[in-house]
Amino acid sequence: MQKTAEQIEKDLLRPIFTSSAKYKIAVALAACLTLSGVCAFGYQLYNGIGVWGINSPVFWAFDITNFVFWIGISHAGTLISAILRLCNATWRRPVTRCAEAITVFSILIGGLVPLCHIGRPWLAYWMIPYPSERGIWPNFRSPLAWDFFAISTYLTGSTTFLYLPTIPDFAAVRDASKGLRKRIYRVLALGWQGTPRQWQRLEIAMHIMAIAIVPVAVSVHTIVSWDFSMTLVPMWHSTIFGPYFVIGAIFSGIAALILAMAMLRHFLHLEEYLKPLHFNNLGKLLLTMSLLWFYFTFAERLTTWYGNTPSEMDVFWQTIRLHFAPMFWTMVVCNFVIPMPLLAIKRFRTITGTAIASCTIIVGMWIERFLIIVPALDHKFLQYAWGSYKPTWVEDTLMASSFGMMALLYLLFSKFVPMISIWEMKVGLQPHGGGIITTRPAMVKPHGLVLEGPLPTDVPE
Amino acid sequence: MKVFYGLYADAESAQRAVDSLNATCAELKFDEKQIVIVSGEPHEGYDFADSQLTSLPYRWAVLGAAIGGTSGYLLTTLTQKAYPIVTGGMPITPPWTNGIIIYELTMLGAILMTLIVLLRGARLPNFKGVITDPEIWMGKILVGVSEPPEGSLPGLEKCLLDAGAMQIKEFVGDSRLPPR
Amino acid sequence: MSHKWGLVVDLDRCTGCEACVVACHAENNVPTAGADQAARGRTMQWIRVERTWEGDFPNPKVRFQPVLCQQCDNAPCEPVCPTYASYHTPEGLNAQVYNRCIGTRFCANACPYTVRSFNFFDPKWEMPLQLQLNPDVSVRSVGVMEKCTFCTQRIKAAEIGAEAEKRELKDGEFTTACAQSCASKALIFGDLNNPDSEVARLASSNRSTKLLGELGTKPNVTYLERGTWQDAKNS
Repeated sequence: MQKTAEQIEKDLLRPIFTSSAKYKIAVALAACLTLSGVCAFGYQLYNGIGVWGINSPVFWAFDITNFVFWIGISHAGTLISAILRLCNATWRRPVTRCAEAITVFSILIGGLVPLCHIGRPWLAYWMIPYPSERGIWPNFRSPLAWDFFAISTYLTGSTTFLYLPTIPDFAAVRDASKGLRKRIYRVLALGWQGTPRQWQRLEIAMHIMAIAIVPVAVSVHTIVSWDFSMTLVPMWHSTIFGPYFVIGAIFSGIAALILAMAMLRHFLHLEEYLKPLHFNNLGKLLLTMSLLWFYFTFAERLTTWYGNTPSEMDVFWQTIRLHFAPMFWTMVVCNFVIPMPLLAIKRFRTITGTAIASCTIIVGMWIERFLIIVPALDHKFLQYAWGSYKPTWVEDTLMASSFGMMALLYLLFSKFVPMISIWEMKVGLQPHGGGIITTRPAMVKPHGLVLEGPLPTDVPE
Repeated sequence: MKVFYGLYADAESAQRAVDSLNATCAELKFDEKQIVIVSGEPHEGYDFADSQLTSLPYRWAVLGAAIGGTSGYLLTTLTQKAYPIVTGGMPITPPWTNGIIIYELTMLGAILMTLIVLLRGARLPNFKGVITDPEIWMGKILVGVSEPPEGSLPGLEKCLLDAGAMQIKEFVGDSRLPPR
Repeated sequence: MSHKWGLVVDLDRCTGCEACVVACHAENNVPTAGADQAARGRTMQWIRVERTWEGDFPNPKVRFQPVLCQQCDNAPCEPVCPTYASYHTPEGLNAQVYNRCIGTRFCANACPYTVRSFNFFDPKWEMPLQLQLNPDVSVRSVGVMEKCTFCTQRIKAAEIGAEAEKRELKDGEFTTACAQSCASKALIFGDLNNPDSEVARLASSNRSTKLLGELGTKPNVTYLERGTWQDAKNS
């Protein structure tokens, strides 16, 4: 049944004005988990980073795994919002804001990890190029300096990309509320009104942002992958890492998005908005990414095996046959064997099916990041210097708390911001369904002419 | 600020209202610029929803990108030349690695310029002179005249009703004129 | 004439006594990790002696190789440091600036020889051991990376002394702690740019080889070995 604008408004504003006991319990749990991470970090600051399990030669382990994992999850929003927006895929409308929110929060969390993992975190600001009388300046040849610029740009871009289309919805909340809430949303809405000029400017700005954010997203995860491939470490020094990581990021991002959508649908009663169609379409995208992930993994490992270089083969066998083999094969099962039938067969590509596939994929992708980092560091060139790694409770707590923080931020976001873009849903009700604006100076008629009907647009039905 | 307006159920009737207001503006002694249109969603393809100069934000974005790229180049190359430090046999100003920083700052420049141009173009933030009506969020479009001159109200009412207004209302708010 | 410091390690002479390791610890205030931390893989050895052997007691064939920072000309650890804590000095040393290090540990990952040590905790010396700390060398704090510096404090002291006396540095006038302590003279330190120096002569011998030379790091540490078990037994 086609919804009216009034119904859309009521449904999507409801979570802002009401919240259930289950919600409050969820927020409390997430907050506790986050707090445990803060305490663990405090413990680490006081005692030194030796409270982690890292050692020589495994100087990076859980920390960088989580960093790459969370930056990877952030590619959800970019793909859905930006690319689908540019392709005029109108089914993306209810999904964009959930996706963009995941992006912003996971970049935040991913960006926090490097600040916490360095040996002297209180000096992390030295990564910023500021005039210093002590001569502190970042080295722009270092991939970590590239990381700093890339993640800052991506965070700024994604926050802008999330905030701009939320302004009209903040105005809707402002007009529907009273008192303190009204005052807060008045500020957030920046005095938005909804004149045609404002709408047009907003749509153009979103179009430019969509064009700009896609290359930024691709560059961010490529640069993160170059933290590894710019070294000579066997099985890190691979040219495939750039595209491999980007595909892996989009893969895990879509999985995270499907999970978030399934939960929102259930808990916020958005069954009428997040329909099986959306899960079906995202499931098809996820299937494509699973196949691409398999392709890249196979290509990387085949070239290593075929080349048969001793130093690389030491690392190779660690993951295929030896110490890390259980994790590796679990990863293959989680990323490919289980999702393939669930996503390829239409009967299984339901909300439940895609949600199960997404769960296994998220686990599998975390394992993949771990297996890229630790086996290679464990087995570098000189056998005498080989080592092993075991995480401590501090690392486990920090990792769990990163998930808690994500949950907390997302839950709070769902309370204070409409999770589905209200105005974009209403545009979907229009006769020609709306579409992205394009510059059509030739189509603008001078004032005063009475139109017989709507202007034909460039947008196909 | 006073606005005399009608609420329209769809974009067609809103367009008719705008056109008839334009036609009678001279007669009722108000300026075209006083016509106010407010909606809860964009209505593409209608004359009232379009305005000229839609290519301008794109050009500003390109300018922002150029500024970002130049500052990236200056930041990396000038500072590396000023304090040349040898690392790993690499050149002092390697173009490939500096290029990554330049690229990121280019994109950042484009993004920030787009944001600034949007805020300026949409006249945000603007906390005075905000007209709202709860019906806007229910899908109606508000078309009216701000600060209507004395004696023009009956004529305006007829104009708006003829175009198919569902309701006629008057809004009294803050002193500043609303943005166009 | 500018100097280019280099080290030659004669593997046919090395007995594996590890006096160099002890001397380095003493000279450079290198903390001892302790049994617990060593078991977790956190020993801090600026120079370590790697043993490889074939066969069993009483006649194993053993080979000892001291591995230290190779002071590579194309050091992979240098471009990756985000704060310029690791850079190349004009005299060919790979310098580690403790004050700039924020502890990202990227350099340690990039080093193919795994010769970098990280301070996972604040180093502690129980009384009265802190009395034997070398005042010429700073003590590093938690979160800072360290490694062999070719005893840069000794290099600097010698250079300053020679400049004060308005003369050139002579070969053999000073040496690193590890070379100084080596009983079998397996470690020779000197100026590779000085054609008369011992190190320049040995580095160009037909026994010379570089560790992981195929990687293109251009190390300034040269290893001399004939490479057969028989030679090691007979020499």
